[in-house]
Amino acid sequence: MRKLLVLMVILLTVLTFAKITVIVPWSGAELDKFLPVISAFQEKTGIEVEYKTYRAEDLANILPAQFAAKKAPGDVIFMWTSFLAKNTANAVELSDVVLPSNYLSGALDNVTFNGKIYGFAYTAKVKPGFWYRKSFFEKYGLTPPKTWDEFVLLLKYLKQIPGLKAPIASGDGVGWPLSDITEHFLITFGGPELQKDLIEGNISWKSYTVRKAMDKLTFLLKQGFFSEPIEWTTVLKQWWNGEYGLYFMGSWITGMVDDPDDLGVFSLPGNQGMVFGIDYAFVPKFSKNIDEAKKFVAFLASAEGQTVQVAQGGHIATVLGVPEMAYPTVDREVAKLLIGVQSLNDLDDSIGGLWQPAFWDQLKLLWVRPERLDDVLETLEEKMPK
Amino acid sequence: MVLRKARFKHLMMFILPAALLIAVFVLYPTIRTITLSFVGEDGKLTLSNYKEVLTSKDIVDLRGFERGFPFGALIHNLMWIAIHLPLTTFLGLFLAVILRNIKGGTIIKSIIFLGMVMPMIVGGIMVRFMFEENVGVVNMVLGVFGLTTQTWTAYPESALLALIFGSTWLWAGFSLILYSAGLETIPKSYYEAAQIDGASPVRMFFNITIPLLKPITVVVITMTLLWELKIFDIVYVATMGGPGGASNVLALQMYMYGFREWDFGKAAVVAVLITLSTLVAAVPMIKSAGDEAE
Repeated sequence: MRKLLVLMVILLTVLTFAKITVIVPWSGAELDKFLPVISAFQEKTGIEVEYKTYRAEDLANILPAQFAAKKAPGDVIFMWTSFLAKNTANAVELSDVVLPSNYLSGALDNVTFNGKIYGFAYTAKVKPGFWYRKSFFEKYGLTPPKTWDEFVLLLKYLKQIPGLKAPIASGDGVGWPLSDITEHFLITFGGPELQKDLIEGNISWKSYTVRKAMDKLTFLLKQGFFSEPIEWTTVLKQWWNGEYGLYFMGSWITGMVDDPDDLGVFSLPGNQGMVFGIDYAFVPKFSKNIDEAKKFVAFLASAEGQTVQVAQGGHIATVLGVPEMAYPTVDREVAKLLIGVQSLNDLDDSIGGLWQPAFWDQLKLLWVRPERLDDVLETLEEKMPK
Repeated sequence: MVLRKARFKHLMMFILPAALLIAVFVLYPTIRTITLSFVGEDGKLTLSNYKEVLTSKDIVDLRGFERGFPFGALIHNLMWIAIHLPLTTFLGLFLAVILRNIKGGTIIKSIIFLGMVMPMIVGGIMVRFMFEENVGVVNMVLGVFGLTTQTWTAYPESALLALIFGSTWLWAGFSLILYSAGLETIPKSYYEAAQIDGASPVRMFFNITIPLLKPITVVVITMTLLWELKIFDIVYVATMGGPGGASNVLALQMYMYGFREWDFGKAAVVAVLITLSTLVAAVPMIKSAGDEAE
């Protein structure tokens, strides 16, 4: 009888404390900033959340095979919307817990298919431009440029500073840091419409508009203003230590440096659009804890959940009702850059497929051999999904 | 008759388990891959996968002969063989001969063999760092001599070569160990007799050592060739085939077709190409094994 009682207690404990797994693309400092959100959810609901880190590039390989076997590696999965668009049959409809009226206009467009919502928008990160250390600029009496000529002049000045390896640090890894810089040039010199047209496949990579924007970038590359591509977290430390003057990165950088108050940022002069990189996630149909997963989704898609996240720095809420005071000072400065510019989708995340790694790889080539721009554009055009 | 039946039964008992495993894990996947390579997107039998793959610039890019890398995965694999194969074979033989009678030679051999013991994924990461501008040992050495330093895996002209030289370090231990074992099988009396006849060490090397190591050389060459044809892990972690496809190889292209494009037909074509190449490479070993058995 006593044994039976103990068994019942154990069984009840297991049944009461449900556990879900969330697959996130973050690790290191970025992941640390997400953990308080998990804690807040666990405290509120008693549902345990386990997290696993998988890069979206790896998930793109893993998930189709898992789905084919009617399995899922997690209950809530952060993933590209280009992937979700092809896998709505394997995703749970979330229209009952994700409400468009709670969101910024258009935030759910990428996860809405045939009027049904299959995913949700978590917080966003913007890719505002070139970051610098205010103390570094003060030391050399520098100011953010207001025109293209001033920008080039700034780079020329930085290039002759002794001990500086290059004016701009180039982040590498899988390849996305280079694509973020390139997109910024395309948007600035081709206009926000160019970004949209490229995503939709309405314009050729060999067109005059693309060429004109890319010429600006290759001009700087040929002058040696950019460093070689170096692993992005390694070069972040080198830039912070004064080995480079500028670093192009997304707003998550504010959560990755020792003193975010020393950070300043400027966009390329004349920029009219900014990539608003929302982190999207979905619940796979093969999750064994769909109800608990939906509760987690509802929390992440609420002002309460996103307030905890934005307070950590580097994130911008996509839902309404998050108080401005919840943001760290540096993020409020980033928000100012967003005024009057169009928010745009990430180019390579939106196109996805085989084109995405090809884009990253071709940019690695362009970075060290800018004179091969024609080859690069030709390859990008060839690889575009037909 | 009864005896023959019993013998047959016994034979089957030994053959069947292995035959079953081979049928399930070798024959079926091979046949399935070959048939898959002939199936088009519409599910009908076609040669279009072969046409697409063999005319793809990812496989052979003749523009490379005018402007430089990339040349396409197939040519990169051939370049890998042309450089890596003689390098590892001769390096292994050379090291085996000089370390044969040196005190502490066994320890040095063990250290060299560490490259083989290491998972190739780890090896690939190490190769990437070896050629990195700021922390790489290669640039450290070049810097001592006042030569240019750069991240060698970042440039199209040097990325593939960096991987080949890096993998030579990883693979040399294989030929070294095989040649060391082979050298132990050559009777010392041969060398003593040659010495009495006044043969020089060089003559002894070419007239005794090399001919008697022929079976070992066949194994070294064949195994190295097979390894080179299916090379994937080092490239995947060190350069991902870049920059601009300059270090792409067949196995990586097969992975891209299969798991990025989800086009298993095209991936199967590359798999068939690799299988055919490995078959050609394996013939000398099989023939040599047959000769020895006779």
